[in-house]
Amino acid sequence: MTIEPKLAPIRKGLLEFLVLKIVGARSVYVPDILRRLAGTEFATQEGTLYPLLSKLRREDLVQYEWQESDAGPPRKYYRLTDAGKAQLAALDDYWIRINRTISDIGH
Amino acid sequence: MERISVTVRLNGINLQFDEPAFARLQAYLKDAERTLERNPDRAEILGDLEHAVADQCMRRVPADRKLVTLAELEPALEEIGAVQDPGIAEPPPATATRRLEQISEGAVISGVCQGIARYLGVDVTLVRVIALVLLLVSGGTMIVVYLCMMLLLPFAAPQRGGEPVRRIPAKCREFVEALRSKLSTVAS
Repeated sequence: MTIEPKLAPIRKGLLEFLVLKIVGARSVYVPDILRRLAGTEFATQEGTLYPLLSKLRREDLVQYEWQESDAGPPRKYYRLTDAGKAQLAALDDYWIRINRTISDIGH
Repeated sequence: MERISVTVRLNGINLQFDEPAFARLQAYLKDAERTLERNPDRAEILGDLEHAVADQCMRRVPADRKLVTLAELEPALEEIGAVQDPGIAEPPPATATRRLEQISEGAVISGVCQGIARYLGVDVTLVRVIALVLLLVSGGTMIVVYLCMMLLLPFAAPQRGGEPVRRIPAKCREFVEALRSKLSTVAS
């Protein structure tokens, strides 16, 4: 029996958190985010990431600006808004707390 | 005679596609559009995806050719992946949906029978046979009933990995959606 179906929704929920973390570290464009997640449990694709970023922008957690690039068309660079920074801090805090709960329970 | 290439403007970037690649791209974007049907940022996301396609294709096309074929487009789309709507959680399994809708994928006319079958949790063939018998004994009333349902029932969101939409259901849907948007313009 595989536990994968139980893990998929957890990953899905955490992806948003991880994207906020990556965007929070420095201003990035989508291939940077994909590269950062590639090879981890959270490896994802543009088809997933662009809709997620649009949702975060609608929630006023991230914003973007166009930047010219040397190789090819201009790129969208994303960064956190103040509300995004506040949410990331809250999520970080919450993550630490649930981690502690998970490791404490059952011992 | 055949058309060799189509110039496509993808989010402001012009690229040459050959016919098969152009058809594939259209199908991909159409799918994405349908998946994002209820997403308020649909236009923006589609622009982003077009941008990603253009970016990926430009990296793959040999410099001396400048024509995108399936050999470049397929791996590009593979890497971009099917669009996922973050607003809607995993699509519920077909049998669990208790909403009466019409289902274009795999439909014969407009998908009304399929919608009824899914709603009742019975085999679609059974619904079709009953519909056909009613059509024969009702002397035309069934046609009116079908048309009413076709005009009134919402269209189900496309299922991932579902059957393709045949020509007639696609036309029906196009017609009904055009009619609805015309009616809503008149109403407002």
